[in-house]
Amino acid sequence: MSIAINGISKHFGNFVALDNLQLDIASGELLALLGPSGCGKTTLLRIIAGLETPDQGQILFHGEDATDTHVRERQVGFVFQHYALFRHMTVFENVAFGLRVRPKKTRPSETEIKRKVHELLSLVQLDWLADRYPAQLSGGQRQRIALARALAVEPKVLLLDEPFGALDTKVRKELRRWLRRLHDEMHITSVFVTHDQEEALEVADRVVVMNKGKIEQIGTPEQVYDAPATPFVYQFLGDVNLFHSRVHDGWAEVGAARFAAEAGDSDKAVVYVRPHEIELSRVATEKAIAGVISHSRLLGATVRLEVDVKDAEVVEVELTRERYQEGGWQVGEAVWLNPREARVYPAA
Amino acid sequence: MAFKQHSVLPGFKLSLGYTLLYLSLIVLLPLAALIIKTSNLDWSAFWTIVTEPRVVASYKVTFGTSLLAALINLVFGLLIAWVLVRYPFPGKRLVDALVDLPFALPTAVAGIALATIYAPNGWIGQWFEPLGLKIAFTPLGIVLALTFITLPFVVRTVQPVLQDLEKELEEAAASLGATRGQVFYKIILPTILPALLTGFAMAFARAIGEYGSVIFIAGNMPYVSEITPLMIISKLEQYDYLGATAIACVMLAVSFALLLVINGLQWWTAKRLGRRK
Repeated sequence: MSIAINGISKHFGNFVALDNLQLDIASGELLALLGPSGCGKTTLLRIIAGLETPDQGQILFHGEDATDTHVRERQVGFVFQHYALFRHMTVFENVAFGLRVRPKKTRPSETEIKRKVHELLSLVQLDWLADRYPAQLSGGQRQRIALARALAVEPKVLLLDEPFGALDTKVRKELRRWLRRLHDEMHITSVFVTHDQEEALEVADRVVVMNKGKIEQIGTPEQVYDAPATPFVYQFLGDVNLFHSRVHDGWAEVGAARFAAEAGDSDKAVVYVRPHEIELSRVATEKAIAGVISHSRLLGATVRLEVDVKDAEVVEVELTRERYQEGGWQVGEAVWLNPREARVYPAA
Repeated sequence: MAFKQHSVLPGFKLSLGYTLLYLSLIVLLPLAALIIKTSNLDWSAFWTIVTEPRVVASYKVTFGTSLLAALINLVFGLLIAWVLVRYPFPGKRLVDALVDLPFALPTAVAGIALATIYAPNGWIGQWFEPLGLKIAFTPLGIVLALTFITLPFVVRTVQPVLQDLEKELEEAAASLGATRGQVFYKIILPTILPALLTGFAMAFARAIGEYGSVIFIAGNMPYVSEITPLMIISKLEQYDYLGATAIACVMLAVSFALLLVINGLQWWTAKRLGRRK
């Protein structure tokens, strides 16, 4: 089912959580709402679910106005960050809850409920836990049960609020791959909220980057990563180095290096360079930036060097372990930096 | 000691010893004395005293009115706790403080005040008199006094549990299609049930032992509105110490049995909630 969000605004006291938001979600896609905490992504998700009412604007489900529809009737499955499983019920009863609370007329028979619940538990690969209580499960298992419970009511839309936020890194990686596979099988329109850019880029069909109640960019993971629309998106999707500079004749200059800039003459500009897109060299070239290595840090497969550069803050450079060893880089050594890629934005 | 667990705080032996000594002196010793004193009676004499018709009538009054008062507070205590936790309103802190008043007020004061108000010529009693309803000096008055005295128990045990109840549980239930009633009966009630039972048990136990507030409003008519603690006092006033301890033993046994049943209920609900290992 497609969802259209038309000019949604929401305030909490003086705080603007959402500011005139416009978003279309296609039927069957897996969409990520990505942003730092407090950017309004969870509020938006809760408004879509009907757990929160917008101050202004409209929500259309499949072209029909659903703004005033109660969460009970919206047919959405909602998965909470902290699972929200019913502690006094077994796993089986948790999953069966949505079927049991139906009015008598539409409630399935006991055998039908049993079949359905076991089918869902098999889908999340936890059929063997049916008789346990939530307190006896691990975090990853609980979240999968929560997902099975949400799917039991055959929702038209699946909404997940930081579904993997409370889990450790390893389980998290496993679960997001699993979620992706599940979505590929079921094709249910899904929206999930995350502050983890890696998660959003890996799992989602499209990513909505949000900041301060506004949408910064909407696009596929490739689009938002390779062609960030705003400095915020660029900074949020990975580590960056930034250089403040001034534009001369269409070029922003940083030390000896210069980058094509669209801004007008002598305007201030900010140049962003990702740490892994910088080449190190011992030989001074025409467009290189001079500096001195001040720290080196080993991060598993990569090595991160900090280089002190005149007129700038510390510049981070990321190398693969092999490149680092081949180069034989030492702390205290004078080096030249050659940015391979850079993006120039007018300074705010 | 083998069962001592490692802890950053010292003093396990000292604190355990103190706890046992304290409990023995304050709780066990008087109870043991009561039972030893009673054992001076032979069985048939004991049985005659505790099954005397007037005493049996007082059991019925005491346990009947206490049960009723505890049940009333089970419902309305939950309601008060709910309102205090869920809704912001002006004067909320004042109302919250008012709940504790029955704890703080000397019970005799409460008894006299209630008796005055609900007497046939009192502020409230005069309106019930023409309807043929007497409140003060009847078992109804006893229920009223006990309800007043035991009000804080259910409110104060349920309040923190309601406070901690995750809002997400209700939201999850609603998103799965549950109506408001279903959310309450299937999600909220099972979660607060142990606390409710605890509050109920404490209110009930307190009501059984209540003396000060009840005697002013009860009227103390034999067979109708005499409570068991009053029977003990009247035996003492006649220097019938053995008779008094015999009745006291019966109360002790019944109270203990009731607490045991309610603890069992709590254990059972806690197990269902999956909180036990």
